[in-house]
Amino acid sequence: MTQRLSLTVNGEHHELDVPENRTLFQLIRENLHLTGTKDACRQGVCGSCTVLVDGIAIRSCLALAVRCHGKHITTVEGLKTDGKVNRLQQEFMDAGAVQCGYCTPGMLMMATALLRENAAPTDEEVREALIGNLCRCTGYGRVVRAVVAAGASRGTEPAKPLAAEQ
Amino acid sequence: MSLPRFDYRAPKTVEEAIELRQEFGDDALVMAGGLATMILLRERLVSPRVIVSLSEVPALRRIEANGGLRIGAMVTHSEVAGSTLVAKTAPMLRGACKRVGSPAIRNMGTLGGSICHGDAASDTAPALLALGAEAVIAGPAGDRRLPLNEFFVGMLTTALRGNELLTALYVPQPAAGTETRFIKYTATSAEAFSTVTVAVWIALDDTRTCVDARIGLGSIAPTPLRAAAAENVLRGQKLSREVIAEAAAAAMTCTDPSSGGQGSAGYRREMTGVWVRRLLDDMASR
Repeated sequence: MTQRLSLTVNGEHHELDVPENRTLFQLIRENLHLTGTKDACRQGVCGSCTVLVDGIAIRSCLALAVRCHGKHITTVEGLKTDGKVNRLQQEFMDAGAVQCGYCTPGMLMMATALLRENAAPTDEEVREALIGNLCRCTGYGRVVRAVVAAGASRGTEPAKPLAAEQ
Repeated sequence: MSLPRFDYRAPKTVEEAIELRQEFGDDALVMAGGLATMILLRERLVSPRVIVSLSEVPALRRIEANGGLRIGAMVTHSEVAGSTLVAKTAPMLRGACKRVGSPAIRNMGTLGGSICHGDAASDTAPALLALGAEAVIAGPAGDRRLPLNEFFVGMLTTALRGNELLTALYVPQPAAGTETRFIKYTATSAEAFSTVTVAVWIALDDTRTCVDARIGLGSIAPTPLRAAAAENVLRGQKLSREVIAEAAAAAMTCTDPSSGGQGSAGYRREMTGVWVRRLLDDMASR
């Protein structure tokens, strides 16, 4: 059985028929061909499939697509502004926070959610927010540095909504 | 691996959800936040014909204060942790919800879903048990309330009947002189399942004598449970070193742990005693 879904992904509206047993992760990659979102554990533990649903970070591997009817989804592809990487992504590159890169999309989405609630997080707060995002290259130090830098560069100015959601 | 096939229904009211439960019986599986359910589906440990999703029932998403706290079954752990009502009435529950998994898991997982899953390693169950919470259950004949310590009946098994729905958790208003402590002790990393979780609630009179006590334990038996033997030691006593040591030893006798990634059975039993003692020591030193 399929259901007709209407949802917005990275600012783009989609209407599509989706099998009821399809996960949001499958919808993103297989229906929409947005392959930035990764999966590894499929149990909600590793964080690599993290996306934002109406601005809230969730695990797309544990979300049914049919539950996302009418919602705004943001994936890592939606972070770019004016066709360029955003501040957070630039800080990841500058800090050398990307090694194999598999966990990076999930890290970026979780950090995006954090920076919206807390414009200038401390080391400790970043570590707490990213506790469920595993990096098997163990490059955590640079990831934390990048997120702190992205916050500090903006001072305490509240986070702007992503272009993709406006 | 993809999920098995099923039909998906998203009722708008509790009544509709119960009707679907009655219509499909054991062929229906109720989905709250979906975390445990999705894993069970993917692993083919369950194969329902119909998923009854509670995500479209607004009545289950509210936190209300009426002579205590009524927390809707579909309120997420993040929402419980962020609620000023919960912070005021049941700060221990707030603390417990902040220790559930990681932030994205807390954004998805619900208090009611976690309780209905009945996992012994639930972080919130020990806190709710110690707070004297009740399960608010709706069925075809109306509502009933069940003390939470009668709700967990076996491994991943609850007292919920096939045509019933957990609609809320009720947490009583704290009386004057009550104190709480909570620890989720993990042997590996902070977001992992606990080695042991201990939640202590005690009521003290003017002379600092313990007039009542409830101790909730997690991860140390097939279900979350109350350490009744330890509670009995504390009632009517001052929190002396001797009484605390006796209560900690009694709590260990309430455990029936299994060995696993978060600790051997012996270690879990030992740590139960250690943490009951430490939490009570901390209360006694105030």
